[in-house]
Amino acid sequence: MPRSRKLTVQAPWRELATTERDWQRADASLLATTLVSLHLIRAFEEKVLELAGQGLVHGPAHSSIGQEGGAVGSALALRSSDQINGSHRAHHQFLAKSLHFVAPQGLDPAQPVSDSTQALLQRTLAEIMGLSQGFCRGRGGSMHLRWADAGVLGTNAIVGGGVPMAAGAAWAHRRAGTGDVAVTYFGDGAVNIGSVLETMNLAAAWKLPLCFFIENNRYAVSTEVGEVTAEARLSSRGQAFGIPAWKVDGMDPLAVHLAMQEALAIMREGGGPTLIEADVYRFFHQNGPLPGSAFGYRTKEEEAEWRERDPLDRVAKAMVERRLIDEAGVAGLRERARSAMERAAAELLDTGGKKPAVRADLWPSPDFRDAHVRGDLSELASARYVEQEAYGGTLEPRKFVDSVAEVMHRRMESDERIVVMGEDVHRLKGGTNGATRGLAQAFPGRCLGTPISENAFVGLGGGIAMDGRYRPVVEFMYPDFMWVAADQVFNQIAKARHMFGGDSAMPLVLRTKVAMGTGYGSQHSMDPAGIFATSPGWRIVAPSTPYDYVGLMNSALQCEDPVLVIEHTDLYNAKFPSPVDDLDYCIPLGKAKVVRPGRDVTVLTYLSMVAPCIEAAERLGVDAEVIDLRSLDRAGLDWETIGDSIRRTNNVLVVEQGSLGTAYGVLLGDEVQRRFLDWLDQPVQRVHGGEASPSISQVLERAACAGPEEIEAGMRQVMAAQGRPLD
Amino acid sequence: MAIEIKLPSVAAGMEEATLVRWVKSEGESVAKGETLAELETDKAVMEVEAEASGVLGRVLVPGDTDGVPVGTVIGVLMEPGEEASALANYPAEPPAAAEPSPAGAPDGAPADTPRSDRADTAPVPRSPRAAEGAEGRVFASPLARRLAAERGIALEGLAGSGPHGRIVRLDVERARDSAPAAVAAPAEETVAASSERVETIPHSGMRKTIARRLSESKQQVPHFYLTIDCLLDELLALRERLNAKGERAEPRYRLSVNDFVAFAAARALRRVPEVNASWSDEAIRQYRDVDICVAVATSGGLVTPVVREADRKGLATLSGEIRELAHRARDGRLAPADYQGGGFTISNLGMYGVREFAAIVNPPQAAILAVGAVEKRPVVRDDQLAVGSLMTLTLSADHRVVDGAVGARFLAELKVLLEDPLELLV
Repeated sequence: MPRSRKLTVQAPWRELATTERDWQRADASLLATTLVSLHLIRAFEEKVLELAGQGLVHGPAHSSIGQEGGAVGSALALRSSDQINGSHRAHHQFLAKSLHFVAPQGLDPAQPVSDSTQALLQRTLAEIMGLSQGFCRGRGGSMHLRWADAGVLGTNAIVGGGVPMAAGAAWAHRRAGTGDVAVTYFGDGAVNIGSVLETMNLAAAWKLPLCFFIENNRYAVSTEVGEVTAEARLSSRGQAFGIPAWKVDGMDPLAVHLAMQEALAIMREGGGPTLIEADVYRFFHQNGPLPGSAFGYRTKEEEAEWRERDPLDRVAKAMVERRLIDEAGVAGLRERARSAMERAAAELLDTGGKKPAVRADLWPSPDFRDAHVRGDLSELASARYVEQEAYGGTLEPRKFVDSVAEVMHRRMESDERIVVMGEDVHRLKGGTNGATRGLAQAFPGRCLGTPISENAFVGLGGGIAMDGRYRPVVEFMYPDFMWVAADQVFNQIAKARHMFGGDSAMPLVLRTKVAMGTGYGSQHSMDPAGIFATSPGWRIVAPSTPYDYVGLMNSALQCEDPVLVIEHTDLYNAKFPSPVDDLDYCIPLGKAKVVRPGRDVTVLTYLSMVAPCIEAAERLGVDAEVIDLRSLDRAGLDWETIGDSIRRTNNVLVVEQGSLGTAYGVLLGDEVQRRFLDWLDQPVQRVHGGEASPSISQVLERAACAGPEEIEAGMRQVMAAQGRPLD
Repeated sequence: MAIEIKLPSVAAGMEEATLVRWVKSEGESVAKGETLAELETDKAVMEVEAEASGVLGRVLVPGDTDGVPVGTVIGVLMEPGEEASALANYPAEPPAAAEPSPAGAPDGAPADTPRSDRADTAPVPRSPRAAEGAEGRVFASPLARRLAAERGIALEGLAGSGPHGRIVRLDVERARDSAPAAVAAPAEETVAASSERVETIPHSGMRKTIARRLSESKQQVPHFYLTIDCLLDELLALRERLNAKGERAEPRYRLSVNDFVAFAAARALRRVPEVNASWSDEAIRQYRDVDICVAVATSGGLVTPVVREADRKGLATLSGEIRELAHRARDGRLAPADYQGGGFTISNLGMYGVREFAAIVNPPQAAILAVGAVEKRPVVRDDQLAVGSLMTLTLSADHRVVDGAVGARFLAELKVLLEDPLELLV
């Protein structure tokens, strides 16, 4: 008979409710500001639904009517330098935090709507309508609202997708020691997604001042929370990660406010993350002006019960009881809020026709489409670019991987902002390959071993980068893990600058190593270049020598865009002439290098395939012009160098090691034929691996990757097609 | 409905033609089948006939326009009673007729509309190709097309050394290197500089074709030459007797020495069929029929109409056909079927007193026979010097198809047939 002992969790978990006494003692100004905020948000949301009904809001209109109390009660506890983000239903969170920013002294129900508040309402409405005067120039719309000045990091259309980014902001606050916090709002539907749970774990492990604020409105679209989780008391999630948690009535803004004050006390003192679950109710369906009962997933009776508990009425009633306002005052506030929204809408609409229409001059220009996909690299304007041939320092034979660690050491020494994170980067003498050797010892607190949760830690890196005070260098132990982290890598980090209107930078460096040839098999052997190149926003470099690595890493660390730096295990332990004294030069992003001049064919390649291409050309006696692309993203392709070569050789062979399906050469070949068709004497030829991902068996792995034999075959083919067969 | 009059493709490989003149003018009524306009291709003058009765509504390409691509809408035919508004989509004024090119135009070509259109689209395969069917399609790399267009090299005759016979840069460069382009360029400059003393004769379609095909042949076909003398005394005597009968025959006939040569060559080809053949990259194509081309000099240039199944025809019939073809050729009235195909060519310059010459093989054929004049020359007969009527024949052959011994065997057979005409009977 085994003995069993009852175990308990350490993290406190409690339900907080207000008493009459709390309402009587509550600060009159707090109640007044709460009431005004609630009314402005309510009137705002009603106007949005009205415009949506007229077809003037393109895309969804996720109304927050009914659940304003959670956002207002919590936001009024924050200070301007605290930050929030949210998800697809976030108009109320955005407005609550922004109103508090424009009126830090509070809002008076007896006063007219101020100009700054009026401007906030109009710009927010404009953004939701997709107009250029919006906070994100009309790009973000309803689901991507960002106003950095007010501390709104940006709301998110991916359920739970913004949570890791908020952790990054919290990390920056903690590192900066300001006592500021981040609050990430999400709903019951997001509680069970990996981004949220991974981030809870990471934030707790690293004691980040991050509040996980769950607006539990009980329905994920039409799915009731009890249907999809066995523990529907969602604040219980804190228990698993050691996060103090509160359950609170979200229809009671004062209760939320008090809970948030308790949570803030913990977070500002370095106690780590907190969790607040606010029970709220959206009076309407997920989207649009109909109630949920119209869709049959809940009853009219249930809706009526919740409407009885409207937070606007709750606050007004308490204030009337305390004679802080009378019924006429409430009615006047309501009227002023509605007319403020009438004015805001009138500024945006042309009502001269039969039906109101968006004022044509307010739309963004269509040529704004691709602006801000990436930055303009002006941050590198004064960079000192030195190619290896012009290097004035000492080159000594060194292992490639030593330069990887050394340049990072050098940069961390000279730039306090840089922080390195990834799995095991702080142990094993520099991670699994020695690429971060010595960093943890030399820079305590700046070389961070992460939990195995790529989505959370790369998203956290994105949040740090967007915050701007620090520059994260994130390592993926293997490139294939990008699929695990795909939301943060491709939906968040890549798109953030563009989606939020172009004003935010994303200076994140992501390092990873291609491991084809090490026997790690189907799930650890991809070359990520082809996939990353499909993602606008990412810059990609793939250096073939330590010299180029140092220069490109120096550029990447100055760049205001996310840069993927691809390394290769085949190169790590090979010895090259490597820079040892001057580690401060740069190599331009977007500059290819002719590493072997020739006349017969232009070989476009990168990373570990550069040297084998040169060797194959020498063995076969093919006068190939081998170009080391170095930068691989769409904006980084050096068409000047490539085009000059193609115009001379008239033949192109793209050489890469990896699999057919994710191959980089698809993009390159397409661009080459479109740009240079009339200079081509044959189709763009390609060398690449097999269709299958490389297997563990050594023979099968070799067969799956392109190597010297495949390069030779490619060169023979490209010569034969010119009418100049080698045999 | 207005009917577009398109420049017709009347022969495989035809890409363009010269619109010589309009027979009808705008507003004139035409009956179905009536001639609207005359075209000159590289081989012949042809007529464009009305598809339907009606009125010639609009001339879109004027007469005397060179290089009009096949398929070009050259005019519009209106059905009887149709309103002129049906022409709204067509320009009212035809493009200016051919005029001397502006000073400095590189080739001195007329600056007419079709030509400038072609220049704009030069690197792109012209749409008429599609009409030629899959076999007429020329496969060339984009670069090869561009280089060929820039250098005025026709892709059609080039052998492609890329995959599937694709013409690649190398092939165009070889063609350029072996063409006298380097000489031609300064020569043109000289022409331009001294235009007062030199008359510039624009290339006719036929001239361009002759230039291209024979250049290609001389550059690409490995020629060798075999020469033989034939003693024709017996043949001339036979000819005299036959022609005496021919004057009274119905229809009348008069046989030339060349008729005998063609007649004999047809039989020699039957005996040595290896010569009645052509080269292709995949295989040697040996012809089952003996179709012989006869070179005819015309004012526009050399043409080579075909006598079909020459080995199955009597001498008088053969003679009549050759005469008729030559007549039509000189009048520029050969139909495409008259000059397409043929496995062997005979060229005779004997009437000019030329004793012997070596002709250029007429691709894709493997051999051509050059016939010199019949002359009385000293001959050795029974170890005695005597006078005989001799004719010198020179066979030019493509060594890829015809080896030396094969060519020699053919000439030997031919010599026997000509020297002993009785052989022609068996």
